[in-house]
Amino acid sequence: MYQAIIYKEWIKTRKALGLTVFVFAAAGVYSFMKIGESVRSSGLVSMWETALQKDMSMFPYFEYLPLFAGILLAITQYAPELQFKRLKLTLHLPLPESKIQQTMLGYGFMAVLLLVCLAMGSLLCGLRLYFPREIVSASFWNLLPWFLAGLASYAITSWVCLEPQWKQRILNIVAGLALLSLFFIGAKSGAYSPITPYLTAFVEASFFFSIYSITRFKEGIQ
Amino acid sequence: MIIQCENITHYYGKRLIYRDLNFEVRKGKILGLLGKNGTGKTTIINILNGYLQPQSGVCRVFGEEMDKLSPATKGRIGLLLEGHIQHSYFNVRQIERYYSRFFPNWKKEAYYRLIEKLRVTPTQKISTMSCGQRSQVALGLLFAQDPDLLILDDFSMGLDPGYRRLFVEYLKEFAASGEKTIFLTSHIIQDMELLIDDCMILDYGKILLHESTNYILKNFRRFTFSTTTDKPFAENKILWNTGKAGMHWETYSFADADKVKDALLSDGREIIDFWEEKLSLEDAFIGLTGKY
Repeated sequence: MYQAIIYKEWIKTRKALGLTVFVFAAAGVYSFMKIGESVRSSGLVSMWETALQKDMSMFPYFEYLPLFAGILLAITQYAPELQFKRLKLTLHLPLPESKIQQTMLGYGFMAVLLLVCLAMGSLLCGLRLYFPREIVSASFWNLLPWFLAGLASYAITSWVCLEPQWKQRILNIVAGLALLSLFFIGAKSGAYSPITPYLTAFVEASFFFSIYSITRFKEGIQ
Repeated sequence: MIIQCENITHYYGKRLIYRDLNFEVRKGKILGLLGKNGTGKTTIINILNGYLQPQSGVCRVFGEEMDKLSPATKGRIGLLLEGHIQHSYFNVRQIERYYSRFFPNWKKEAYYRLIEKLRVTPTQKISTMSCGQRSQVALGLLFAQDPDLLILDDFSMGLDPGYRRLFVEYLKEFAASGEKTIFLTSHIIQDMELLIDDCMILDYGKILLHESTNYILKNFRRFTFSTTTDKPFAENKILWNTGKAGMHWETYSFADADKVKDALLSDGREIIDFWEEKLSLEDAFIGLTGKY
């Protein structure tokens, strides 16, 4: 039965997921083309030096991509559920409601997680072919908050979409934007490492926000 | 007892929807919930399914409280949302495949028997269908589920007469065994007359009447008459919605003609051209609730 819920989520999100994978792949290919062009024009050593001394980001195009991917996935998954209150049909299924909610949120979380892990793995593996471990490590710390922001944006957008009351929804958007801004503080690579465990914990906790909104929906709050 | 509601009181903001609403639905019955717009028909359906917490009171479905329905009990309830809402991003085949996983007694053939009547392909998306076609998909899914209780919120909404009649005929067939219970609302009361055993009429804040449809059709009458003055009649226990309709006066009553005439004469004026008429359920509804 849970596979059927995953099937429903897949039908809703498959186009958005396909588009996201395409954009990530295109941004990855373009990033490596730019890196290759810089290496050819100024030499590999000079590129290493710039990367280390100026803390240059190797993948600037990925700053907001995971964020938008999370938002897009959550909207395609939950906007149809709230449109005409279709969520009633889903919650009416003969399964425990908490399990239904967890399956839906779990599907989206795993989809974003898989996407960002694959993207992160591909980018760092590609980088390792030309650059030393230190630069790859710096890039990892540079990418990590952006990719965590993808998971957080999914959770926060789900929270906003599932909230049944417009007034509260606007407050959720404001709070969500403030929380997401934590992932985009301009800082040197590695500056985020002390707070990464807290950001990860926040991402995990943010999934409970949606459960709260579904509870409000069930109570008939409008 | 399939449905029991006890002392339901609910407000939207400061507006009272019901106070101490009580009713029951027995096994095998088809109960139609009628009421003007804004009397809380959909609200009751939301409360029954646990999608709205009333200010006070409790509803039980198959003996379970509405906000604690077990998965097994939900499996016994078929729910049709207002406007035949379904997961419209699925196509005809996908939606059947999706729901079939949840119900052990799924009757695939019941769904496809209805779908065959529509000129749609198995890969047609539900979002591209007309309202009538969507209603048949929703009905087909409910019949395939084969629930013990059907809850239908405004099943006739947006349907043309042909689809409405088809819907009613299928529902009658579904309920024919006497083992199935149906609780439904509709704006089109003439369809209900062909279908429902019991009729519950809601007025603002309360139940106006809960009687068998046969009793209403057999006993409730319109009485038309003329009188000498335009002065409104005093309130009377046996008369409903007495008022002037064009050149004549009208009143409605469950009482026989003699008692009605006596009640009118007790107001101290002459009654002339007095006659009674049998009513359809729709006319009876107007007689009970008033035109406005």
